[in-house]
Amino acid sequence: MASSGGPMLRLENIHKRFGELEVLRGIDLDISQGEVVCILGPSGSGKSTLLRCVNLLEPPEQGEIFVEGRDICKGPGSAAGEAGWELDFVRQRVGIVFQQFNLFPHKTALENVTMAPEKVLGKPGEEARGKATQLLERVGLADKLNEYPERLSGGQQQRVAIARALAMDPHVMLFDEVTSALDPELVKEVLDVMRELANEGMTMMVVTHELGFAREVGDKVIFMDEGKIVEQGKPADVLDTPHEERTKKFLGLVLER
Amino acid sequence: MQEFVNQYFDVGFMVDHFDEVLEGFWLTVQLSIVAGVLSLIWGLILAQLRQLPGKGFLPVRFATIAYIDVFRGIPLLMMILLISGSIPSLQFLPEWLRIPQWFGKPDNFWFGVFAITITYGAYMAEVYRSGIEAVPSGQMEAARSLGMSHRQAMRNVILPQAVRKVFAPLLNDFIALMKDTTLVSAIALSEVALVGRDLQSQFLNSSGVVLGAILFLAVTLPLARFVDKLISREQGRFTRGAPRVEAL
Repeated sequence: MASSGGPMLRLENIHKRFGELEVLRGIDLDISQGEVVCILGPSGSGKSTLLRCVNLLEPPEQGEIFVEGRDICKGPGSAAGEAGWELDFVRQRVGIVFQQFNLFPHKTALENVTMAPEKVLGKPGEEARGKATQLLERVGLADKLNEYPERLSGGQQQRVAIARALAMDPHVMLFDEVTSALDPELVKEVLDVMRELANEGMTMMVVTHELGFAREVGDKVIFMDEGKIVEQGKPADVLDTPHEERTKKFLGLVLER
Repeated sequence: MQEFVNQYFDVGFMVDHFDEVLEGFWLTVQLSIVAGVLSLIWGLILAQLRQLPGKGFLPVRFATIAYIDVFRGIPLLMMILLISGSIPSLQFLPEWLRIPQWFGKPDNFWFGVFAITITYGAYMAEVYRSGIEAVPSGQMEAARSLGMSHRQAMRNVILPQAVRKVFAPLLNDFIALMKDTTLVSAIALSEVALVGRDLQSQFLNSSGVVLGAILFLAVTLPLARFVDKLISREQGRFTRGAPRVEAL
């Protein structure tokens, strides 16, 4: 839990570049416990990279990230490399769900969920299976425990992926365009699970194009463009009465669909 | 025409010398299995060394690549000659290594095993690598984001998928390895080719060699059909590997 009332997650001046391209150009952000932050922005704006920085899949070159008050990338870009990052700490507190699900295809739904608790936390098989079963029931897949991913629909796979991330008892969940690869009729079942998670008080960063979800579930909406936060605020404010031209233009394009 | 048949397909000759040839072939099979298993293991180790992440392991990766390049490029026969010809003379090595006679097998059997493992380990490392690289990068990311170390992710997520993908090509390499064991006849191991050759020079008749070849086919043909079956099954299968997650 967040120590002494500080933010759950704090990003300070995050910079990230891929070769010549500077993808993140100074991001500052505080997220308090239980807050749901939805991140919008055009393709290439850096929003996915921002999420991937938070759990150090793409370590930032500059800036600091604090999870529950702890600096997780001491000396980013320094020679220390991975040694300077608190990988174990961050990966056991911050869960991520990907656009492409990335389930392990050679494992059943249940085994997908039990693998990390068993291998990383050393939980006994029985306990891990019990918890995984509960989690899969919670995402509505009680009858799919022993199915392999290829036999599941995209929506079901994504719900397994959410259960898999939750099995590590994360304090923060990152969602990286988790409904973008889904057929339209499967989007709702995944959003419903996320909505429930938010209602239970999970701290969430959600990169999404689902404006309805952002409006209803988000505590804060952030609009990003060209590696910077252009505008942020309450969902209604950003979505209905945006101040910045770029936000207006983007929302216009999204709503036109 | 009769001459041709007598030279190659003298059934009476084959029956008379069946036991000798079979004994030679049995040694071939043992050599193939021991060297095959060791090559599979050594190749897997090399492939993993080649995939170690980060700057710190750069020398290891470089050394592994150099090893693979060198030993894929040297003919197996030369490796056999190099090892058997001079290892016994290296006095600084302990005797059990200079003149290995483990499990009741003569030293030339083990020199053959060493040479084949060194060479085929390099081939198989490349096959494993193609399998590892064919696993979508999202798999490693998912495993790492769940807190697994690189090693845990390799063992539990990447390798099981990679090995499944390359099972057929590995088996193909094993067939090639099995045939290449005949090169060990060059250092007087009485495997099937050498038995055939001795019969040839003794009786001026090749039916013994033909018999050995038939025994080979009895093993390699079913294996080859099995490989075909695996490949077509793999291709017919719905591939659900996700493409690379977009960087942005």
